[in-house]
Amino acid sequence: LTEEEEEDEEEEEEEDEGGGAESALEKSPFQLTAEDVYDISSVVGRDLLQLSAGPRASAAAARLQFSIVRVLEMLEALVSGGSLAEERLRLERDRLRMEVEALRGEGAPGSLNLGPDKMVIDLTDPNRPRFTLQELREVLQERNQLKAQLLVVQEELQCYKRYIYHSVYKLSAQQQFSRNSEAPTSLSQLTTFTVQPLE
Amino acid sequence: IRSMWSFWLKNLRQFSFSWYTPEACLQFKEHFHAQVRTACQQSAGTVGLKISKVVVVGDLYVGKTSLINRFCKDNFNRDYKATIGVDFEIERFEIVGIPYNLQIWDTAGQEKFKCIASAYYRGAEVIITVFDLADIQTLDHTKQWLEDALRENEPDSSFIFLVGTKKDLSDAVCERTEIDAIRFANEMQAEYWSVSAKTGENVNEFFSRVAALAFEQSMIKELEKTMGHMVQIGTGNLISMLNFASCVYFPHLCSQRLGRVF
Repeated sequence: LTEEEEEDEEEEEEEDEGGGAESALEKSPFQLTAEDVYDISSVVGRDLLQLSAGPRASAAAARLQFSIVRVLEMLEALVSGGSLAEERLRLERDRLRMEVEALRGEGAPGSLNLGPDKMVIDLTDPNRPRFTLQELREVLQERNQLKAQLLVVQEELQCYKRYIYHSVYKLSAQQQFSRNSEAPTSLSQLTTFTVQPLE
Repeated sequence: IRSMWSFWLKNLRQFSFSWYTPEACLQFKEHFHAQVRTACQQSAGTVGLKISKVVVVGDLYVGKTSLINRFCKDNFNRDYKATIGVDFEIERFEIVGIPYNLQIWDTAGQEKFKCIASAYYRGAEVIITVFDLADIQTLDHTKQWLEDALRENEPDSSFIFLVGTKKDLSDAVCERTEIDAIRFANEMQAEYWSVSAKTGENVNEFFSRVAALAFEQSMIKELEKTMGHMVQIGTGNLISMLNFASCVYFPHLCSQRLGRVF
């Protein structure tokens, strides 16, 4: 904006300087200095003077046209360069804003209403934790009890098998059975003790 | 009743008293105490079933469940499945005519189950702390596991074993680990063994040793208990025998009891 104003002024100013102006017009608009702008303004001023007087008017008009076109080009470059930078900054700002919001979202439950040892559970997760320690304890105890009962039943089954085997082969079945039948009874007594953790 | 010196497992595995490494063995006797033998002989068929509680602890994935499964079921599963909370197996023996059970508690190695598993530590006649021979960190952790297990038990009431697993994967690193392990075992007052559940190497030998020591201790405790009654009944023969056993195994109790008896 300031450049524009300056250049408006330049065209009104009337100074008699040359030399540097040509190179100033050739420069990249992003490297222009205030000095260059004064140089350009002096050239433009001189051409304006010549426009109204005498035989060099047409040459002055041509130079003036070139200068104006060049200055406008520079102005355009500066304006679009500025808007590019502005666009970049806008994108950067949006990105940072989103990042901050994401971080705030992550940190919020822990830092806002929950202590450091707390955990957030996703209720839509089918594998989310949902049973209490006490429930697990009870399930394990029940499992242990059933396993112990299974052992007893297996033992008894073996005894009956042995009994049948000895009956079939006409061995002294009674003797065999009574000797072996003691084991499951004592095992069953012990398994009741087995499956409870000793509190 | 079988011959006094040959002890057989239910499934006819040779029952042995032999230790694994002399560097990490706490007792070297080759047979049961004479008094225990006598008592067994006298009471075979009359006493109830004896049972000893064994608790197996150690880091996750060292192979506690595999070790127990190899011994109790003679199988090996290559796939890892974490133990949930606690599990148990009962292995039945008959030692010198007396039915005898090992109740083996397999605990979860995962930290999150510790509060459940530790409720089962109490009353352990045998504590087996397990580590992976290929993972030195698991050996470092055995001290903590043992400490946790001992906290739930009376001082000096449990036999302690330190067991290195996955012996089949053994290499030079494992051999160095084994040297450390034997040092650890000495510090822990434990007997050291290294085993492979995969190949079965040393597994039966190890549990035979566990059963033999636990059985003997359980018999001595039983004798200790019955001794009180016997004194009142006045069976002189038994008193002198049991006092002898007591002096060997319970020197701290001995002076009191002897004083009363004689």
